[in-house]
Amino acid sequence: MEINGQLALTVLMGVFLVAVAAWLTRVENWRSYTPLASGGGAYGQESGHAHEKPGGLIRWFTTVDHKDIGMLYGLYGVIAFLVGGAMVMIMRVELADPGMTLISNTFYNSLLTSHGITMLFLFGTPIIAAFSNYFIPLVIGADDMAFPRINAIAFWLLPPAALLIWAGFLIPTGDIIPAQTAWTMYTPLSAGVGNGNQANAGVDLMLLGLHLSGVSATMGSINFIATIFTERAEEVTWANLDIFSWTILTQSGLILFAFPLLGSAMVMLLADRNFGTVFFAGEGGAILWQHLFWFFGHPEVYILVLPPMGIVSYVLPRFSGRRLFGFKFVVYSTLAIGVLSFGVWAHHMFATGIDPRLRASFMAVSMAIAIPSAVKTFNWITTMWNGRIRLTTPMLFCIGFVSNFIIGGVTGVFLASIPIDLVLHDTYYVVGHFHYIVMGAIAFAGFAGLYYWYPIFTGRMYQRKLGKWHFWLWMVGTNITFFAMILLGYGGMPRRYATYLPQFITLHQIATLGALLLLVGGFIWLYNFIISWLEGPVIESGDPWNLKEDGLYTAEWEWFDRKLQTKITDGGEQQDVATDGGHESDESDS
Amino acid sequence: MAAKIFDKETILDLTVNIIPLGIIGFFVVVFAVYDPFGYDPLASAISFGLLLVPLVALAALTYISGKAIAGDEKRSEVFLAGQATVPGSQTLEEYEAQAEPDHEPAELTDDESAEDAETEPTAQNTDD
Amino acid sequence: MDENPGLSDQYRMASPWPLFIALGIPIAELGILFDLPALAVGGLLLLCGSIAGMAKEAGYAKTPWRALAVCSVLLFGLGGLLLYADTAVAAEGVRFVARGYAVIAAGGLLLLGSLLGTAFVKESQPI
Repeated sequence: MEINGQLALTVLMGVFLVAVAAWLTRVENWRSYTPLASGGGAYGQESGHAHEKPGGLIRWFTTVDHKDIGMLYGLYGVIAFLVGGAMVMIMRVELADPGMTLISNTFYNSLLTSHGITMLFLFGTPIIAAFSNYFIPLVIGADDMAFPRINAIAFWLLPPAALLIWAGFLIPTGDIIPAQTAWTMYTPLSAGVGNGNQANAGVDLMLLGLHLSGVSATMGSINFIATIFTERAEEVTWANLDIFSWTILTQSGLILFAFPLLGSAMVMLLADRNFGTVFFAGEGGAILWQHLFWFFGHPEVYILVLPPMGIVSYVLPRFSGRRLFGFKFVVYSTLAIGVLSFGVWAHHMFATGIDPRLRASFMAVSMAIAIPSAVKTFNWITTMWNGRIRLTTPMLFCIGFVSNFIIGGVTGVFLASIPIDLVLHDTYYVVGHFHYIVMGAIAFAGFAGLYYWYPIFTGRMYQRKLGKWHFWLWMVGTNITFFAMILLGYGGMPRRYATYLPQFITLHQIATLGALLLLVGGFIWLYNFIISWLEGPVIESGDPWNLKEDGLYTAEWEWFDRKLQTKITDGGEQQDVATDGGHESDESDS
Repeated sequence: MAAKIFDKETILDLTVNIIPLGIIGFFVVVFAVYDPFGYDPLASAISFGLLLVPLVALAALTYISGKAIAGDEKRSEVFLAGQATVPGSQTLEEYEAQAEPDHEPAELTDDESAEDAETEPTAQNTDD
Repeated sequence: MDENPGLSDQYRMASPWPLFIALGIPIAELGILFDLPALAVGGLLLLCGSIAGMAKEAGYAKTPWRALAVCSVLLFGLGGLLLYADTAVAAEGVRFVARGYAVIAAGGLLLLGSLLGTAFVKESQPI
């Protein structure tokens, strides 16, 4: 039996390798001949130029163009967001009732773990990479990323990572069950010792997937650092570098120091689980894991929030009719956050009984890091102050970001204070606090970016009314859901439980109601984006937001305008605008 | 050179990072003077290290970035963020000179001319 | 229409290798972690072959063959480490022998490929 399995695997692997080799020879052949065949129309190239981009699906599998990779990242992030959202909807519905009603407690734990990991690693990081891949080379005047192929490798590591992380759900056997370790993977639970069920291979697969996503993020960050340092156009000096590139540069620096550490810690954990090592066993093992994890984990928070702050700093002034107030304050405070984020990790561990002297130091730095964040908030508000505000959908999402970020930030300042943290630790207050940041702020900024650059991505405009519905449902839904969680935390409701005491039922039901609003808003957004991509009005100028009026027209729109211009002179090949599932709606629009 | 780069304007920009430095410095002094948990060679050393390492790192990064940004401001023309490569865009000075005189009154317009401009032609497209 | 206005024409926009490098890493990791020699060998071949191919495509190497040989040396090193770990590890039921030989086998196959390639494949025609 065992031998048969191995044999089958060998044959399968061999067939796969031969198939890959055969395909590669074919691809390499036609590619080396295309330039001779002057355009090689048979492969459906979009232009007569020698940018050899094959047609159809193969284009997307082989692309090293930063814009295509940005689109792939975006698609990937959106799919992960839908998966993570579906997971949390099941959890929220389960929590509408105090007992174990809809799903088992263990399945709830699995969903809890996967929701966190999916949203942070498979949605958050990739959706940021979508924007940075697409726009940073355009905005800083680079031809492409510094290492286009590494860029593609970094993206293609992510789909296997997602499959591994979700493997427990996807492989329906008794031996492999989804990880139930929560995204923090605290040992000894995640080391698989004791009587729990976490020794199963599903956890190993999840750790491997997470490790892969870390490798991907590290590759991407090296690429961005190299690109921003070496590929800038001559005019783009450090003084002219835009705020989004600054935040990505800082974020990449954080990734470079944080993710390899997570990778090493996870390799150690895998060795503990499979190879009999004892890194995290015995006295101090659990606290060692927490230190290693949070030394990565806290910078990760800023890895996720800095680029969205950059998007807001970039988009918000465009609809305020004036430039960003205190541009250099925002740049310097971004750098300050980057440095200080490595000095605050143990504020997640105040309740573990670490030495009070260390706790006090971490508290001090945690207080200090609040200043740069607050500076940014004041800059956004003063940018809007007395400005000519246009409440377009991206602007609404930016304002929503600022509003939610204030609530999320202020609740965070309290948590940085040791005495308060000891009371509120591991309650729903913490859950409410960080969801105000990750959902209310990070996701909102992501959607602000998606709406703002939708014309560039698709060549079309979304439906304005649906965008407004989406925003308001999300703004209201977010505040209902997560404010209820903050109140639950004050009441003493502990986090991570599938069941709870009946006294918490009202607030839990309110939170579920808010989550349903978010679900409806999400469907509206999905419908809007798909339908508008297929049938929305085609954009004809490179300035759909009337930025020139205020002198706030930026390089990526200038690029888009040039692209549209060349399209007109080329006789308007429509199919390129609607790359995926192109729809010949050009005629019906006019 | 350094004296020229770090003029009053630049120092003012850097205050944003000097404040967190001040907060950390304040706590260093507090923990040195008022020592609520007693002295322990290892724990106290780590404790001060945790404050001093970020302090020094932040000061260094602020200095380096300030020098890079302020230096480039003096060496070449400054544009609004993201506009340096756009042909015909104004420099920051021109923008400021133009923005100052006609100080617009506060108004909250919901006209959304931008979105209207793009969505109106297709009213027939979305309504059916 | 021009996707990249102002970009020089020689800029390469497609490469088949990154996808397979990205597939090779997880397959090899799975194989080594769960002691599945087929996956370990296959994944390492895919990974190293793609790296060699990409090095040639990017112009870092004239032919992929020497890159393959370098990879095989690295794999011999890794395999040797695993074999050494097997003698050093005390934990019960943990054996690295199969893993070590799988990695060395992958290195051997790569070295073979490198030698065969150098001996029999003619220089590709200049385009």
